[in-house]
Formats: sequence, C-alpha cells, structure tokens
Amino acid sequence: MAATIFSVFAISTIGAGLAALLVLAERYILNYGECEIKINEEEGFRVQGGNSLLETLIQQKIFIPSACGGRGSCGYCKVKVVDGAGPLLPTEEPYLEEAERNEGVRLSCQVKIRNDLRVEIPEELLSVQEYECVCADIQELTYDIRQFRFELKTPDRMKFVPGHYVQFLSPVYEGSEEEVYRAYSISSNPTDVGFIELIVRLVPNGICTTYMFEHLRVGDPVRINGPYGDFRLSDTDAPVVFVAGGSGMAPIKSMLHQMVNAASTRRATYYFGVNTPEDLFMVEEMKAFEAKLPNFKFVPVLAVPEASNGWTGETGLVTEALDRTLNSAGSYEAYLCGSPGMIDATVEVLKGHGMPLEHIYYDKFS
Amino acid sequence: MSLTTELWQVLVVCFSAIFTGNILLTTFLGMCPFLAVSRQVKASVGLGFAVVFVMTFTSLLNWLAYRYVLVPMELEFFRFILFIIIIATFVQFVEMVLERYSPVLYQNLGIFLPLITVNCAILGASLFMVIREYTLPVTVGYGFGSGVGWMLAIVAMAGIRQQMAVERVPKGLQGPGITLIIAGLMALGFIGFTGVLQGS
Amino acid sequence: MKRSPEAKRIEEVLRCSRIVAGGFLGTDTRILEEIIETDAASLIKLGTTAPRIAARMREITERGKAGLGTTVKFDEKRTVAVDENRGQTVCPWPHAGGYQKTITTVRRLDTGATARWSDLSLHFIEAHGFFQGRGSSFRVEPGELVAVLFD
Repeated sequence: MAATIFSVFAISTIGAGLAALLVLAERYILNYGECEIKINEEEGFRVQGGNSLLETLIQQKIFIPSACGGRGSCGYCKVKVVDGAGPLLPTEEPYLEEAERNEGVRLSCQVKIRNDLRVEIPEELLSVQEYECVCADIQELTYDIRQFRFELKTPDRMKFVPGHYVQFLSPVYEGSEEEVYRAYSISSNPTDVGFIELIVRLVPNGICTTYMFEHLRVGDPVRINGPYGDFRLSDTDAPVVFVAGGSGMAPIKSMLHQMVNAASTRRATYYFGVNTPEDLFMVEEMKAFEAKLPNFKFVPVLAVPEASNGWTGETGLVTEALDRTLNSAGSYEAYLCGSPGMIDATVEVLKGHGMPLEHIYYDKFS
Repeated sequence: MSLTTELWQVLVVCFSAIFTGNILLTTFLGMCPFLAVSRQVKASVGLGFAVVFVMTFTSLLNWLAYRYVLVPMELEFFRFILFIIIIATFVQFVEMVLERYSPVLYQNLGIFLPLITVNCAILGASLFMVIREYTLPVTVGYGFGSGVGWMLAIVAMAGIRQQMAVERVPKGLQGPGITLIIAGLMALGFIGFTGVLQGS
Repeated sequence: MKRSPEAKRIEEVLRCSRIVAGGFLGTDTRILEEIIETDAASLIKLGTTAPRIAARMREITERGKAGLGTTVKFDEKRTVAVDENRGQTVCPWPHAGGYQKTITTVRRLDTGATARWSDLSLHFIEAHGFFQGRGSSFRVEPGELVAVLFD
C-alpha cells in the first residue's frame, strides 16, 4: 500500500519537475526581449519580440493588408525588410518571386520579431488612418444594393480624392467568428466634410456584406480605415467615358461630384449597364448631374428589354451599346470600375475605337 | 574494465546496432514513419538525422534516470512511463531550441519532431539498453548506432522507392503493400550480417 | 492520426470565417483528408474524375461570363448566369494567386435542378479535389453536381 502511494507520488513529482523545466526553458529560450523596428530609416518604435511583424505593425496602426488573418495563406502582407528578418521560411516561398526575394520582400505574417528590424513601407500606407464612425443612414437602392452613410467621429474628417476606397471592418457576429476588412469605394462628395458614403452590393455569403445588410443599424459604431488606391480622374480636358455597373458606380459618382465642384466642362458619358429596370438606381441623382454639367450624359443600358415596357434607351450588353454609340475615341479617356470580365470586354471595345491603353484607367479591386 | 576493452565493446555494440541487430529491419521497431516518410530521399535524410540525435540523447538521459532515480527508489517497473515522459520532454525542448536558433531548420523538420516522440524505436532503444544492462558509454554507442541503423534503413528504402516510382507496380500492391515487401527483402538481406561479429 | 502542421493549418484556414462567412467546412466535423477521400470515393462510383468535372464547370463559366451578368443559354438543356463581384478570395493551400468572387449558377431546363459555384470552389475541385464540407453554403454533393453538369 505504502509502496503504491510512494511510487505514484515519485512518478508524479518527476513528471511535474520535467514539466516545470519545460516552462522555464520556454520562458528563457523563447524570450526575445525588446526589439526596435525602424520604418523608412526613421520613426523607430520598441516592442516585445516574439510576435509576427504583421501583428506588430497593425498594433502600431500601420495597416498592412491581410486576407487570411496572418496564417500565411494569401500573400497580401508583403513588406520589404531591409535588415533583420532572418532566412526565408518555406511557408513564404510560394508567394515571393525571385525579384522580390532579392529586394528583401517578405511575408510579414511569417517574419517573427527576434531582433532589431529595418523595414520600408510605402508612404501611402503610412498615411492611412483608422476612423471611428457612426452609421448615419442606410438607403435601399435596389433589392441587393444599398447606400451607407457614415459620420466620422475620431478623426472627424478624411481627406480623400474621388476614386479612393476605404477598408470597412466587419466585426464578429453570429455566423462570423472573426473580424474582417473589406474594401469599398467612396461615393460621396469630397466637400461633404465629416461624412463618407459607400454603395455596397450584397455578395452571397459575403462576410462583410452580410453584416452590413443584416446586422448594421443606423446609430451603430463602425470602424473604417483609409483612404487607399490610385484610381482617380485626370486633370486634363480630354473627353471622358465612364463604364461601371452595380456598386461600381461609387467612385464614378464621387468623380462626378468632383467635376461639379470644379465646374468642369469636359465632355463625359457614363454607360451604366443593368439587367432589368429594377436594377436601375440613382437615376434622379444622375439627372441632377446632367443638369449641372452641360456636357455630361447618363446612358443606362438595359440588357433585357423585354422586361420593360416603353424603354427608349439603349439595350443589350453595355459593351454593345458602347460599341454602337462611340465614334473615334483616340483623344478620349476611359474610367472603368467593375469585374475583370466586364473591364476586359470593355477595353477590347475601346481599343477597337482607337483609344490608346494609357488613357484607360480602371479599378479592378484585385 | 580497461579503457580499450570498453571502447572496443562500444564499437562492437554500435556496429551491431547498425547492421546485425538493426532496430528497424531486425526487431521491426519504428515502422510507422518508415512507411510514411520514405518516399523521398531528402525527407528521409532529414528525419534520419533527427532520429539519430534524439535516440542518442534520450538513451543517455534514460540511462541516467534509470540508474540514479528508478533503481535507488526500487521503481524499475516505472521505466516505461518515465522513459516516455523523458523522451517527450526532450523532444519539446529540442523543438524550442530549434525554433529560437534555427527557424529554417525548425520549419523544415518541424513536421518530423512531433512524429519522433511516438516513434517506438526511440522507446525501444532505451528499453533494450535496460534489458541488456549496458553501461553508460555502451548505451551512448548503442543509441547512436541504433539511430544510424534506422536512418540507413529509411534512406535505403527511400532510394529504392524513388527509383521504383517509374516502375509499374500492380494496383493492389501500390503504396504500403510494395513497401512492406521491400522492407522484408531488405531485412532478409541484413540477416546476412549475422555472424559477422563473433558473439553479437 | 498524426497530421503535419501544414495539413492542420490548411484546415484551420478552411474552417475560419475569414475568407467566407461560415468557412468552407460548414458544420462538418470530419477532418479535411477524410472529406476529400470520401468525395473521391463517390467520384469513382460515379465513374468520373475531379479534373473532368472541373473542366466542364470552367467551360460553363467561361460561356456565362460573356453574358456580363445576364442569363445565357449554354446548350439545349442548360442556362447559365455569371455574377461577378468585386474582390478576390485566396486559397488556403500554399500557392500564390487570387480568385475572383465570381458566382456561376447553372440551371437545367428539364429538371429545374441548379448548381452554383464560385471561382474558388471551382479551383478547389480542380486543383485539390475538395468539394467543401457539409453545411458549407457552396458545397454541392458530387452526385448532384454531375447530374446537372452532364447529360
């Protein structure tokens, strides 16, 4: 009896002793101490080592994009590390090309901070800020498209250029256990200070759109960061062709506001492709733009004319309408926003009418 | 025992552990990773080195634990549990050290280290060491030799399987079937080593 | 069964709701390898292969894309509508590349049965033999999918 108790006690103590040894070992071996991260050769900050570079940068409010939550599955979180990253890991290899590796580009979610680091981050990314906002208004535009209006609280204004997009933070809700960022173009007028509007289309099983359509209410707090992107209207006088359908209207609408603010006399035509008349929205706003901009014309294109009575406008695919009505376009500029399929088809038509590729700008969101 | 006789015994035990009493091909321990990982030579070499390292040191640690902890407390029957605990702790420790000081090696080997803990050859080597009442130097030689023997077997198997990848194997035998047949043939080959060393 | 950290990581990404609401494994409690193997066995019984199914799906999607969002007739028995949404999803397996959020819906005119897939689920079937877990909103049972795609 005593022998049993003694032996169990002895083995348990030995086991516990070994476990304690492991805990101590972990504390000393896996403790990296304080490390300094320098960005663009200035602005260093000190952090406790051991976390990934991505986590640390995001904690410092530097918003490196990530689609997979830092699990090494998307390749979006590339950061150029000048010094201190250590050897390339096998998990990074599939996402980095030869040229990138030579420059020191790494996947920041796989780089563990073990010592001082020097990184280079593009200025645009550094000027991105996080905004706390409140949902001010939700308007149903069609059965699957809504306009969301957000009031910026802290900071209370965002300096953006029409064509910019923001990243909207979708919080945890029933059905989605993780926070996720999704990008949406700004559709509001830049002079509407302190507010941001987005035009969003519901994506089947989309994490963020499901939140926005089914859970977000007026008055709810919301987090956004931005602005991002380099899609913008040129400041030349060249005539313009806009092509965008559905939620792609957002940056175009913002650009039209910009033209009104500048009292632009540029010739502009906006081809807006829809399936049925139920998919039309913002028609009144477009008519208002036509009134304020003497050389602007809104051209909705209905794909399924049989669905309506008395439609006198253009019919067919938006690319077909463009082909029919556009003449020689050598001096024109085009601004496209939509899916890659639509953009590729439109670019073909534009090239066919003589538009040089350098004059075609698009926001593919890829 | 004089130093040279001792050293000679260590070498004999080591040699026999590699060839005549190969822990994998003679006593058939450590078959799971042997069948699973032996597809490519590169992976097998990596795993083999890891096994050599773990086997040598755990035999040593287990010998010390047996001699200075279990025997004085008359708890020899606990050796099965204690050896496994020590092996698991050691492997965890090695993983930690690797992660800190060589992250590339950790990533490449990382998949293998958890596998090694449950490799019965590791436990087997420690238990044999007890049964055969080896002294400390002999134990280290035995652990090292067993590891090298295991590595030899898995690398040879990987080489054969890589060569065979272009051969036509009957459908029913593909995978584990043909591997076990090859293992059997290799074991037969290694039987030829018996009698090389007198009295081993 | 001992699984490599790699397989565990892929499964973790598939299960999380970071890429698609509800994840790709839905309410399925089986592990990834089991799901793929069970579906592979169904395919053998159906007498077809994942690459064949994927090739057919790609053919249908390409034809549907030309419709730019409208419903297009694919052949005598099927119509297809392709909806393109902005943004890309990523594949949890370790290779580069993004997949558009393009949803293809095929409808059989004779039976009324429909099948729906995204570019990413097509890639899953084509490259990884993965039909997604039960309860995932984009899972189509191989049997039903084959019935809609092939005559």
